[in-house]
Amino acid sequence: MFTYYLDLARRSFKRNVALTVLMVLAIAFGVGASMTTLTVLHVLAADPIPGKSQHLYYVQLDPEKANGYLPGKEPADQSTRADAEALVRAGRADRQAMMTGGRAAVEPERAGLAPFFISGRWTSADFFAMFNAPFLAGRGWTAADDAGNARVTVVSQLLAEKLFGTTDVVGRSVRVEGTPLRIVGVLARWRLTPWFYDLSSDRYGKGEELFVPFSTSRELKLTRNGNMNCWDASPDPEALGATCEWIQLWVELGSTAKADAYREFLVRYSEQEKAAGRYQRPPNVRLRSVPEWLAYKEVVPNDARLQTWIALGFLLVCLINTVGLLLTKFLRRSMEIGVRRALGASKRSIFVQLLVEAGMIGLAGGCLGLGLAWLGLWTVRHQPTSYADLATLDLPMLAATFALAVVTSLLAGLLPAWRGCQVTPALQLKSH
Amino acid sequence: MHFMPILSSLRRHRTAAALIAIEIALTCAIVCNAIFLVGDRLARMDQPSGIVEDELVRVRLAGIGKDRTDASALTNQDLNALRAIPGVKSTASADQVPFANSSWNSDVSTIPDDPAPPVNGAMYVGSADLLETLGVTLTAGRDFTPDEYIEFDAMQTSTAHMPSVIITRGIAERLFPGKSPLGQPVYIWGKEPQIVVGVIDRLARPNNVKPGAQDYAFVLPVFVPYTIGGTYLLRVAPDRRAEVIAAIDATLNKVDPSRIISDRTTFTEIRKEFFRQDRSMAGLLVGVCAALLVVTALGVIGLASFWVQQRTRQIGTRRALGATRRDIVRYFQTENFILATIGIIIGMALAYAINLWLMDKYQVGRLPAVFLPFGALLLWGLGQIAVLGPALRAASIPPAIATRSV
Amino acid sequence: MFLMKDVSKVYRTAMVETHALRDLNLEVRAGEFVAVTGPSGSGKTTFLNIAGLLEELTGGEYLLDGVNVKQLDDKARSKLRNEKLGFVFQGFNLIPDLDLFDNVDVPLRYRGLTRGERRKRIESALDRVGLASRIRHYPAELSGGQQQRVAIARAIAGDPKLLLADEPTGNLDSQMAREVMQLLEDLNRQGTIVVIVTHDPEIAARAQRNVHVVDGVATDLERGPSLVRPTLAAAQPGA
Repeated sequence: MFTYYLDLARRSFKRNVALTVLMVLAIAFGVGASMTTLTVLHVLAADPIPGKSQHLYYVQLDPEKANGYLPGKEPADQSTRADAEALVRAGRADRQAMMTGGRAAVEPERAGLAPFFISGRWTSADFFAMFNAPFLAGRGWTAADDAGNARVTVVSQLLAEKLFGTTDVVGRSVRVEGTPLRIVGVLARWRLTPWFYDLSSDRYGKGEELFVPFSTSRELKLTRNGNMNCWDASPDPEALGATCEWIQLWVELGSTAKADAYREFLVRYSEQEKAAGRYQRPPNVRLRSVPEWLAYKEVVPNDARLQTWIALGFLLVCLINTVGLLLTKFLRRSMEIGVRRALGASKRSIFVQLLVEAGMIGLAGGCLGLGLAWLGLWTVRHQPTSYADLATLDLPMLAATFALAVVTSLLAGLLPAWRGCQVTPALQLKSH
Repeated sequence: MHFMPILSSLRRHRTAAALIAIEIALTCAIVCNAIFLVGDRLARMDQPSGIVEDELVRVRLAGIGKDRTDASALTNQDLNALRAIPGVKSTASADQVPFANSSWNSDVSTIPDDPAPPVNGAMYVGSADLLETLGVTLTAGRDFTPDEYIEFDAMQTSTAHMPSVIITRGIAERLFPGKSPLGQPVYIWGKEPQIVVGVIDRLARPNNVKPGAQDYAFVLPVFVPYTIGGTYLLRVAPDRRAEVIAAIDATLNKVDPSRIISDRTTFTEIRKEFFRQDRSMAGLLVGVCAALLVVTALGVIGLASFWVQQRTRQIGTRRALGATRRDIVRYFQTENFILATIGIIIGMALAYAINLWLMDKYQVGRLPAVFLPFGALLLWGLGQIAVLGPALRAASIPPAIATRSV
Repeated sequence: MFLMKDVSKVYRTAMVETHALRDLNLEVRAGEFVAVTGPSGSGKTTFLNIAGLLEELTGGEYLLDGVNVKQLDDKARSKLRNEKLGFVFQGFNLIPDLDLFDNVDVPLRYRGLTRGERRKRIESALDRVGLASRIRHYPAELSGGQQQRVAIARAIAGDPKLLLADEPTGNLDSQMAREVMQLLEDLNRQGTIVVIVTHDPEIAARAQRNVHVVDGVATDLERGPSLVRPTLAAAQPGA
């Protein structure tokens, strides 16, 4: 029976090619636009570190002066160097890491290659395990390296290839801002979408290329890169006691119970600091998991969201349009429907027959819409945004395109099919 | 024209009529908001920077190795060398430029230690020729004098004191509405206030901030060496920018080859890059509007054609009874007008609802009332154009149809 | 084969109540060839619609082949129409973009027969009406009379017990009309009950029994001697 309906649908399309093409195009454009924007949104809003995002927490404290404090106001985004080093030293979480972005000039040993700048991260030993950084060779550095200001570094695969032409570089040294650092590890290609651990960096960009222990970076006076907020004048904002917030502090906690305990610990820490005279405000701590942190910082660009809504609105109009066109298409065939009903087709048979027609349009629209979505994403990939290269149709999105098209057309077909099957056999057959 | 018979006929075909009315309503609502957003983006893209955009070239650079104690001296040497390039009118060192996506900001208040400062503005600092190089317009007061400048390192101490500040008209109107800000103290940095010595008409901020705060910027007399700000600005005759850019690397390397020059662009490029996103968004919105209008027009044509076919006999009968072709066309035009009106009324309400939601979620402004007549005219016009084809076809139905029996 | 008892049909709109049928009583037995006559607006088409399960009756009882149609839902009615009834319309009502084979195929599709079964029946039906050679042609390529014969083939392909025809010769010239009536008589002889609605007295004369419907009520008519034909009811074994 289903093949019969398919055959009838095919004949019906041939009979009125213009109308069919119109409906297919409407669905295709609506689906194409929606899938393009939804894919971009899916890329931007997806969990950056699935499986671990619930266990990584961002720490916020409030060391600023009493003047300007309002109860309930959010503390600053970043931490002071003093707080960060103290909490990392306390070691009360499963793992903890402090970090900041940086820039450094790298002088290659290869002749003919001029010095160039790379973006780097100055952080502590736990960083690599916490964020699941994949190693191609070697490993991260140790806590002892942190304590000893060791002259070590972890480089990205790209940087290794650029400097040495190979990735087998563990043990070799690289001159960073004039100082040779020994390479202890090489990272494989790594992309977190977004780089949530430091939202002041290029969130959807390619990532950092050079990792150096924070303590070492201070000794070598490596330049930092990112936001800095000083609430008081500081002769040296990067000094240990400076009244400046510029460090990101992340901890790993295996369960919600541990998270609650750690939050308690942060409150006690704030009270201790207040008693010691460093803090001026009552305890105002935040411990946000990755999803909470991303939501709080509203990471997904507004424009991406807005574009998705617009595309969906367009799809809705296309859907209503299709409902109207299908309705006229089916009602035009009242005579045929009436005959079929008289000859013994039940209402349900007619309903299914018409719905199959609608579904076929959806399928055709889905194929075309897929092409259009692919085209749309191609356009997005050629925009100079940092997430451009991520805009591709993966398998789930591909399936979603067809699903969207077929579901849309079936929804559109419901009302017309129902009206079509209501055609009473008697009235239509009166020849006058 | 007789509305009542048309209305009752529509009531008998209310499903199809409702569908077209809803489609028109949705299109109206989306198009109105989309055009409004386009206007919003265009206004944003149009905002004046306050500087001489077509004469500015920006150089980004940094040094290798730490702690150049002679950074300030080197900076001055650089600026002098750059000024000597033929075509360059003036040079300056700076911390940031408009539309370049960085943000050195600071709170500004009229009282010291203000717990809730009314203004947070972009902080521009740089060498003595900064204002002249940028080409900003001073509407009141004066530029800084050389002795008012302090070094950047001095700014970081707790006893730092900058005697004066130049503010934009935006800050002046916010902090000192109705009176002249010249000579007034403001508290930006350090324990001592800064005295307002000049007012700039406009100086755009480096990044997008919420509406209202867009006009807040100020300049402090702090000398910023290249190791801190990493930015040199050159004011060049517009037609000589390319040749000047070509000469920059050689000039700076001659002064000291141990720097890496990462960028040399015209401000025109910087501005274009900054608004690229807005441009593409505007383009997308226009595209969607066009597509929506086309889809709706086709829907109208489809439905009208169907109704013409359904009523063939009725139309023939009317013609046989004395209706002219024009009367038939008028009938369909009126019917379409009624449907469009219903759709537009719903669409306007929907447009405002959508606008309220956009205002809440995406900080856009309120939809101005002028969009009502504009949207109405657009959709009335669209409907009438779309229905013309089927209406003319209806008009050509011969009266003889009336007497045919099948 | 079917029995109508006190059947009434009322059409109600917001302002007007039309009694198309009132207290119609009729029994039709196997082998009969009935012509239903009456002036326009008398209700004969309504009667046909009710008999053919195309419309629901307002009052009274209708038993089709022993089944009371009142309790039937749409699915059951459709099934009954499909299996027991055949329709022939004045305007032929063939589906224009299906060829003859596919047109006759339509009712068989709703029966769930296998492909082979359907083909056999279609070929046999078209053969019976004498159009087997044009099996792959389209309705537009045939004359009016031929189209009506195809419609008859479609009606009989499912071996219905009862054939209902609404002015089957109304759109045909006299030659074609004679051919179609001949066909219907042949079918009747072979065992199908035929009920024709017509206002043409010549057509009515060829029927074995005449029923006259006036103002929604049916009455059998006496037949004049020159118009009497042998009653098939007597010839059939069992009713």
